[in-house]
Amino acid sequence: MIAETTRERRRNSQEAEIVAPPRQGFRVPKPIRRLQRNAPMYAIQGINELNARLRGLAGRDVIDLGRLMEVFQFVYQQRELAKRGANYVVDDFGFDAQFTESFLIAFKALYRDYWRVETTGVEHVPATGRALLVANHAGVLPWDGTMIKTAVFAEHPRPRHVRALVASQFMGMPVMSWFLRRTGQAVGHPDDTRRLLERDELVLVFPEGTRGTGKGFRQRYRLRRFGRGGFVATAIRAGAPIIPVSVVGSEEIYPMVGDLRPVARLLGLPYFPVTPFWPWLGPLGMIPLPSKWRIQFHPPVSVADLPPNAAEDQHLVMALADEVRDTIQRGIYDNLKLRRGVFL
Amino acid sequence: MTPRRVLVTGVSNPLGAEVARRLAPNVEYLFGCDIADPISALEEMDFVHADTRLSVIGKLIRQLHIDTVVHLAVLVDSPHDDRTIHETDVIGTMNVLVGCAGPSSSVRRLIVKSSQAIYGAGPRDPSFFAEDMANFDKPASGVTRDLLEMEQLVSEFALRSERCDVTALRLGLRVTEGTTLARYLSLPVVPVFAGFDPRLQLLHEEDAVEVIVRATLGRHPGVFNVAGDGVLLVSQAIAIMGGSPAPILPPYGMWFSRLGLRMFAGVGLPAYLADILAYGSVMDCSRAVSEFGWRPAYSSRQAMDALAAGKQVEAVEAPSPPQEYELQVYLQQRRRRERQLAAPKN
Repeated sequence: MIAETTRERRRNSQEAEIVAPPRQGFRVPKPIRRLQRNAPMYAIQGINELNARLRGLAGRDVIDLGRLMEVFQFVYQQRELAKRGANYVVDDFGFDAQFTESFLIAFKALYRDYWRVETTGVEHVPATGRALLVANHAGVLPWDGTMIKTAVFAEHPRPRHVRALVASQFMGMPVMSWFLRRTGQAVGHPDDTRRLLERDELVLVFPEGTRGTGKGFRQRYRLRRFGRGGFVATAIRAGAPIIPVSVVGSEEIYPMVGDLRPVARLLGLPYFPVTPFWPWLGPLGMIPLPSKWRIQFHPPVSVADLPPNAAEDQHLVMALADEVRDTIQRGIYDNLKLRRGVFL
Repeated sequence: MTPRRVLVTGVSNPLGAEVARRLAPNVEYLFGCDIADPISALEEMDFVHADTRLSVIGKLIRQLHIDTVVHLAVLVDSPHDDRTIHETDVIGTMNVLVGCAGPSSSVRRLIVKSSQAIYGAGPRDPSFFAEDMANFDKPASGVTRDLLEMEQLVSEFALRSERCDVTALRLGLRVTEGTTLARYLSLPVVPVFAGFDPRLQLLHEEDAVEVIVRATLGRHPGVFNVAGDGVLLVSQAIAIMGGSPAPILPPYGMWFSRLGLRMFAGVGLPAYLADILAYGSVMDCSRAVSEFGWRPAYSSRQAMDALAAGKQVEAVEAPSPPQEYELQVYLQQRRRRERQLAAPKN
C-alpha cells in the first residue's frame, strides 16, 4: 500500500460524503471545541511538568504517572462504552469483553493497592486452549473470583478472560445477574461447564459453593466438601486439565461471626452474614477489610491419559477430586506461612 | 416418500399462508384449513373451514386421504384468552393426532409447530436449552403448560405409530410487526425489569417458513430447536428500535408488573414472555443445523435490525383485493364441476 500524502488525504476527506447529519441546536465555538478535544493532552503535559518540578524539590517521585494514566484509561474506556450504543456483540453466554476490560482496570487497583495480591505460578495457566481452574471459596461476597480473574488478566503474559461459574441463586438477583452475565459468568450447571470448555475457554469453578463463602470466621481456611466431584467428571469428559488454585486472604475481608438464618430464608439468600460491621454500619459494612492476599496457581492435573469412560468411574472421580482438594489445602497452608500477618 | 396430499392447518395466519404458498408448487394436492377466511388467495389450494378443536378435523384427514399434515394451528403469541389457547393447542392437536392414528390412516408425515416458550425461563435454568431439556414434570403455567401437554401427546403418538414420521419444530421468538414482543420493544420508553438485561434469541419469519417447508418436503423425524444464530441483549434490542429502557418494573411479583404494562402501555405480556425478559432463554440449535444441513439466514441481531428497518417483510404478500377469495372459491368449484362432468365419459 502506498501511504497517501497529507494533501491527498485532505482532498479525499473533502470528497467523502458526510455520513453523520450536522448536529442541530447550539454548538460551542470552534476554538473552545478544539480546547475540549485537546484537554486530556494538556492535562497530561501539565501533570508531567508538575511532576518534574516536584521531583526536583523532593528528590523522589511524588506523583505516580502510571497510576494516573490508568485513571485516564478508565475514563476513556467508559466514554468509548457509552459511545458504541447498540453496536456491540455479546457472545452466546452474554459476555461483553470490552465492558469487562473497562472494569478490570478498576479491579486492578484493588488487586495491587488494596489487597496487595501476590500471585505465583501464573505460568501454569495455558496461554490457549481449555482448562478448568478449581479454587477455594471464602469471604461473604465472591471477591476471590474477581481477584482470580484480575490475576490472570493482569499477570499472564497472554491476558485471558476467566469465565467463572456462579450459583444459580445469584442469577435470579436483580443487578447481580446482569453484571455477572455481562462480565462472562455462567450458571454453575454441568451443561454450561461443558459448553464453555468445548469453546476452549478458561473456566473457574468453586466446588465448595456457598458452603465455602458462608462459613464462620472460626472455620477459616478449612475447606468444605468439594461438591460431589462433578467438576472432575466434566473436566474428564471435555479433556480439560484441572488447575488447582489456592487463595489466601479472602477469609479475612468479612470476618463472619454469625448467620441470621430466618432473615436469609425471608430474603431467599443462602445465608445472611453478621460481621463486626454489617449490618450495623449499613452500606459501610459492605466495604471489605484490606487483608493481605496471596494467590497460587498449582501445576495442572492432566486428564488427557485417562480413558474417556473414566468420568463414569465414581471411585476415580472422587480420588481425583480429593487430590485436587489436598493440593489446594496444602497451598493454603504454605501461603499462610509465607504471609507475615493478616494485614501486612 | 415425497408428500403428495398435504393438509396445512391454521393456514389463515401469516405463517401458515406463507408455508402454503411455498408448498403449493411442490406438492400435488394442497389443502388448507382454518376457522377464519384465508388472508390471501391461493389458486392451488383447496380451503376448508374446519376447526381443529372439533373432531371433524380427524374425519377431514381420513376422507381426503392426506399423507402429510402440517399442523400450524398452535397458538403461542395470540390475543385470545387462556381457555381458547389451551383448547386449540391441546385439544386441537389431540384431534389432529386422532386423525393421523391407527393402521387405517394414510398419514405418513406429521409436522407440528411448537415454540421456545415450552422451556419457560428461570434463574436456575442452564444458559442453553437443548431439545431434551423440556421438563415435562416441572410445574408450569399458561402457554408453557399447554405446549408441554401438547408435545407430550405428540411424542406419545410418535412412539406409538412407527409408520408416521413426526417432526416437532420449536420455533424461536419472532418479531414480526404485531407480535407482542415486537410491540413491547417498539415502545418509545420501554419499561424493563429493574436490574435485568437478559439475552434474547430471535427467529426471522422467513427462516421459520423455510424450516417448516424443509421439514415437510424432506424426512426429518424428531424434535428440533430453531432460532437465529447469536444473541442480543434486551437493552440492545431496545436501542436498535430507537427507544430507551426504563428500569421501573420491580423484579419480584411479576404478575403485578404485567398488569401495569397492560393497563398503561397496552401491551399484555404473557407470563412466559415476562420470564424471558427477566431471565432470558436461549436454545441450542445445533441439532437442527446438522439434521437439516441448513442455517437460518438471519441471525438474532439481523432479525431485530430487520424489524427496525421496517423491512421485516410481511411473509405474505399484501392482502388480496376485496372479493378475490370469493372469486377463487367460485373458480375452484367450477373447475371441480367440469372435472366431474368429464369423468363419467372416460
